[in-house]
Amino acid sequence: MDYFNLCKKQLVAVACGLLLAPGVLFADDETEALRQQLLELKQQMQQMQQHYEGQIGAMEQRLQGVEVASQRQAEQAAQAASQPVAPSLSSKIAGVSNFQIGLSGLFAAGGSSADNGELAGLQGGGHDPNKNGFTVQNVELSMGGTVDPHLDAQANLIFQIDEEGETVVELEEAFFTTRSLPWGLQVKGGQYFTEFGRQNVQHPHTWAFADQPVVLSRFLGGDGLRSQGARVAWLMPTEWYSELYFGAQNAKGETVTSFLGEEGEDIGGHTLMARESRNFSDLLYSARWLNGFDLSETVSMNLGASALWGPNATGTDTNTQIYGADLYVKWQSATAQRGFPFASWQTEILERRYEAGDVNDPTHEKLDDWGMFTQAVWGFKPGWTAGLRLDYASASGDTATDPLRDTRKRLSPNLTWYPSEYSKVRLQYNHDWIQHLPDKSADALWLQVEFNLGSHAAHVF
Amino acid sequence: MTYYRILFGLLLLVASLSSHAALRVVTTTQDLAAIAEAVGGEQVKVESLTPGTRDPHFASAKPSMIRQVFRADLLLVIGADMEIGWLPPLLQSARNGKVQPGNPGYLDLSTGVPLLGQVSGPIDRSMGDVHAKGNPHYWLDPRNGVRMAEAIASRLSELDPAHEGEYRGRLADFKQTMASRLPHWSADLAALKGQPVIAYHKSLIYLADAFEFNIVDEVEPKPGIAPSAASLSALVARIRSDEIGLLLMEPHYERRSARYLNEQTGIGIAVLPQSVGATPEIVTYFDLFDAIVAALTSAGGA
Repeated sequence: MDYFNLCKKQLVAVACGLLLAPGVLFADDETEALRQQLLELKQQMQQMQQHYEGQIGAMEQRLQGVEVASQRQAEQAAQAASQPVAPSLSSKIAGVSNFQIGLSGLFAAGGSSADNGELAGLQGGGHDPNKNGFTVQNVELSMGGTVDPHLDAQANLIFQIDEEGETVVELEEAFFTTRSLPWGLQVKGGQYFTEFGRQNVQHPHTWAFADQPVVLSRFLGGDGLRSQGARVAWLMPTEWYSELYFGAQNAKGETVTSFLGEEGEDIGGHTLMARESRNFSDLLYSARWLNGFDLSETVSMNLGASALWGPNATGTDTNTQIYGADLYVKWQSATAQRGFPFASWQTEILERRYEAGDVNDPTHEKLDDWGMFTQAVWGFKPGWTAGLRLDYASASGDTATDPLRDTRKRLSPNLTWYPSEYSKVRLQYNHDWIQHLPDKSADALWLQVEFNLGSHAAHVF
Repeated sequence: MTYYRILFGLLLLVASLSSHAALRVVTTTQDLAAIAEAVGGEQVKVESLTPGTRDPHFASAKPSMIRQVFRADLLLVIGADMEIGWLPPLLQSARNGKVQPGNPGYLDLSTGVPLLGQVSGPIDRSMGDVHAKGNPHYWLDPRNGVRMAEAIASRLSELDPAHEGEYRGRLADFKQTMASRLPHWSADLAALKGQPVIAYHKSLIYLADAFEFNIVDEVEPKPGIAPSAASLSALVARIRSDEIGLLLMEPHYERRSARYLNEQTGIGIAVLPQSVGATPEIVTYFDLFDAIVAALTSAGGA
């Protein structure tokens, strides 16, 4: 770092010298040379101007051609339908590129029987409502589209406001996916949410509840597990939908909790050291097998199993494994209007095996944590859903005072109204049973409002 | 001699088996599937991603659809943003280069029909679910059915030139059937001609255009926005003052508002199947209009 700064200073000094030197040393002889240069520049500018004018002229001609063509098409269509149809030029251009851009805002207001200090431990998700008062949960700018016949690409920027009122910008995701590799293969690369379980890859505005399940905050981190890497997915030639994912990502950073994470963080009394990746064995590896079945015309099911392996920073040679199973069942009425009525049930169970401290370390131990959440959502009439979620998380050893490892239960009923496809209002009640707080329980009520601007939000299964 | 006969028979069998490598056609709706089946016959194997009983705007990309699109040779879509909510992520997951937009395996039927209800001037979502490209419910005009069949026959011929004759032949049959049925439907609905009616959603303008009746208002105050007590009472006043006799709606919309309007004004209600497959009896594209005409005539519209 220091060396780099030094280099930068030297570079700046040299550059300044080069710029100033001619003016200072050769001021007298320079006048003629400068005039010559100016003349050359002028000629170059004229050439450029001519060049661009020519190009602009050609473009205008082409545009006129397109307009004439579209007018002709419109006339033909009008003749066919005796109805004037005039596809505008802008819609034609928009049709060529499917670049989509959207802004989503998610805000919460509410309060808890716990104070703001305690809430930080209860609402562990980075996008959870976590203040008595108002929380800007997530403001997300999403951009994406088709790059060429080979690639699609997407980027999601997150804007948040921290405790000091400062705006934080994060490159949440930026990745490409291949469009048409042979044999059902697809490669994804960049910065992206790890395909582990069902909920980890979902963005907060598509969640069915106002906050992140406890076990996901604990094992996969408050921001969800995401990092830089690549994965390959194989759509298998089975009669039912069956897909295998295998990926490798960097194991370091604040969004890779449970692995190398961030120096100074603490897990089960072990402080993370500044451990860097040394080689390929220090990457985070992930695998997932996802299956989908139609149980009937109206009931479909997803069944998945996932695993993560990677190094952790409590020692120089310590590793973590996380395993998970997920189930999602959805019923949608055969005569659904706007997708309603429907009922869905989602469950994920996770186990984490965390080797803390090197073998010769006196504090060496194996932490074994597990947790689950199960949630049901009932879309009882168009635009209205009622949900109920149960969280459970627990860990080995004496963890009663540890907010990230104590035995925790949470029951969350909620009611959501979607005035349109682009907005929602949600009221959620949380009742917590907690070991680490003196009251041993907490109650909270959150009101959530969301808006979506721009490109159409997709209805994912 | 018998040996030759057996050999010849076997050859025929092999030939017929190999020619049964049918094109896999996947459609977003059952209407498209019905027309593709009529034109494609035994040369195609057609699957629809959504059933005709559901609102096709609001499908969700089920995992089984990923496999269907992955294996497809030809994907037929309604287009005009009808499937915008669920087809793009499905196409991405299905990773089938053949049926990506721009390739011969992708056919957007909205490009071959004159779309009504195109919005010019500035629009925003405060106007509800407005389709800027035009109203996508164009299959409810039987004349558009012919245009769709023509586009499908051309594309099938392009993908499978060996059977072009069969596709063209079945297209001619389709057109002939339409030519013989359309005058009967128009005659059955003659009394409706020029009459003002109300529709639940802005989805029946093509039907109105084909059979020349006037949709003067919708139950939904804005497309996709549920009616409120205030909007319904305004509608009651309009039905009375304009003497509107008929309300048209698709089966997947809620019936309470229609019942209320009927109680208040005595307006007739016709629940029209909007798609092939809306009821089990509607199997072909022609069945659809038979059922629509029957529902309209029995509701007192003709």
